[in-house]
Amino acid sequence: MTETFDFTPKLKKTLFYMMGLGVVGILYVLLGDFITHAHNHHARLWANILANTYYFTGIGLFGLFVVAAGQVAYGHWQTMEKRIFLSLSAFTRIGGFMLVAILILGMLHVHTLYDSAISISHLKVVPEKYTTKVIYFGTAFWVGRVLLYATVWFLFSRAMNTFFARTDQTDPKVYKRSKILCAAFIVAFAVSESAISWDMIMSLDTGWYSTMFGWYNFASYGCAAWAMTILLVIFLKSRGYIKAINENHVHDLGKFLFGFSVLWTYMWFDQFMLQWFANVPEETHFWIKRFDVTYFKVTIFLTLIVNFGFPLLFLIKRGAKRNFKMIGFGSVLLIMGHYVDFFNYTFVEANWNKEAKAETKEESLKNSDKVVLYAKADEKKTATSDVTTTKENTAVVATEMKKTEEGGKGEEAEKPEVNFAGIGIGEILIFIGYLGAFLYLFFRNLAKRPIIPENDPYLKENEQLVVTYA
Amino acid sequence: MAESNKFIVGLWDHEEVYLHAIGHIRGKGIEIYESLTPFPVHGLEDALGYRETRLHTAGFFFGATGTTLALTFMTWVMTFNYPLNIGGKPYWPLPSFIPITFELTVLFSAWGMTLTYLVRNRLWPGRVPRIFDTRITDDRFALVFDSEKLSDKEMSDIKSLCKNEGAVEVKDKVFTENEGL
Repeated sequence: MTETFDFTPKLKKTLFYMMGLGVVGILYVLLGDFITHAHNHHARLWANILANTYYFTGIGLFGLFVVAAGQVAYGHWQTMEKRIFLSLSAFTRIGGFMLVAILILGMLHVHTLYDSAISISHLKVVPEKYTTKVIYFGTAFWVGRVLLYATVWFLFSRAMNTFFARTDQTDPKVYKRSKILCAAFIVAFAVSESAISWDMIMSLDTGWYSTMFGWYNFASYGCAAWAMTILLVIFLKSRGYIKAINENHVHDLGKFLFGFSVLWTYMWFDQFMLQWFANVPEETHFWIKRFDVTYFKVTIFLTLIVNFGFPLLFLIKRGAKRNFKMIGFGSVLLIMGHYVDFFNYTFVEANWNKEAKAETKEESLKNSDKVVLYAKADEKKTATSDVTTTKENTAVVATEMKKTEEGGKGEEAEKPEVNFAGIGIGEILIFIGYLGAFLYLFFRNLAKRPIIPENDPYLKENEQLVVTYA
Repeated sequence: MAESNKFIVGLWDHEEVYLHAIGHIRGKGIEIYESLTPFPVHGLEDALGYRETRLHTAGFFFGATGTTLALTFMTWVMTFNYPLNIGGKPYWPLPSFIPITFELTVLFSAWGMTLTYLVRNRLWPGRVPRIFDTRITDDRFALVFDSEKLSDKEMSDIKSLCKNEGAVEVKDKVFTENEGL
């Protein structure tokens, strides 16, 4: 029953067309910036690239985690989907380094996404609440950290792909040894997954922090990874491969998809409710930014409805999880829903950081101080005594205070003018481009060895899987 | 429901034989009153032709009751009966209602389903259980047939059928009136 995926030239061509559409999308966004004379360092383009890279990297990372967790827990349910999960990580090998590149370009002021975080290490006088963040966002430490995660992911992705290929051909002792590799990956994953969400997404707004952001992101690309796996299983089955995988296996994946959707909602709601109720200025300004713009207010609650309402109402039934059309439709919807979720994170910040549209480095730095000061505006008195000491910052603080007094509220004084509001043709095309690249790397990796591991000790058990409940 | 007191109990000692026997006995159109096994046997529900339980539907309605009750009560208290300004929050602070609503939903559905299950299976306090054979918690798989309304011929047919299907023991079991329900 050896069956290896045949990566046909036709499929390759389709995926290349998808990637081409991505390039068209990039050009479309650049053209839009050119027409509107936007001096925001192409914030829209970079926000797109960041959101997509982060999203697809996370999906791949989660694929590795599923295999590692199943392996350590003596699981058999994932045996036949194992190669599919492992192949998801093919994009992560590149994606991690793309994130490093995005960060370095931010440091070089090619784009302004990370300006608020970069600037705090350049402040002459650091407000008290940023004293530890100055260390955390120090250039070398920050880039080095992300580079370390990218390297670790690259090595683990390769090691696990090759090692699992070996376990199927030889004796069970090798299989047992794979548990060490998997346990090591789970530790590395737990740290790097949380930290990458702080480093790449939470740092877009330096003042804001959420202690459950790592978990939140875990649930987010968990959902996306299950949905992606379900779609790929359905696709491979429609091509006549993996006949041994039946609705029982898809049912299992569907249960995980449902469960992770609920986990995601739990995280989303906790994060929102606690910050809404506690009303601490440095936390709530994150939400004020979103709720000030109607578009984002709508998309935020739309993601909640799609990512929670749909699974709750339509995927809870046993029949729905075993019906390929239903679960496939749900997967497509959830992949898009979670993309919009990340879109909310990056795009609001990209709009916001438009403030720092300076041409020179000095101006850029000075402007990005304002963003830092904004968070401080609520504590007027301390802000004045803290920051007025240096000549450079005095002017900024003066205008800031003036604005604050005029506007009555700090938020209104700093309200960003939105030059691009939402998901347009550019966003859709770039997403398709990334999806094409993701699938190309996925299929290329999958075609290297048989899809179903032949001599896996748990294969027989998995073939007879019957899901009798839920 | 009037319960009968006369039963035929067939005992098997192997689950595979037992499962096959159920299939053949049901194929002959004989009604099985009860099936008792020392551990959950895979495929037993299918073999006995049980319908899918409707307990989860009941659970949904119990949960919905909890949701409605929690939301209406808190809305009544916080918005209409005694509105208080707490930390500048609106008088109808929906996000802060959600955790309690969730808890009450879980509480209602859990209690509701548990009680429904107990009542449906006649497991109320003070009930004297009917024990068909003491070894059904040890190593015997039992099939129970209601023999109250059966003729002698039908009873002997069932007994011989059980024997043919590999039952290690077939016996009559008669309960007295006050021995449970």
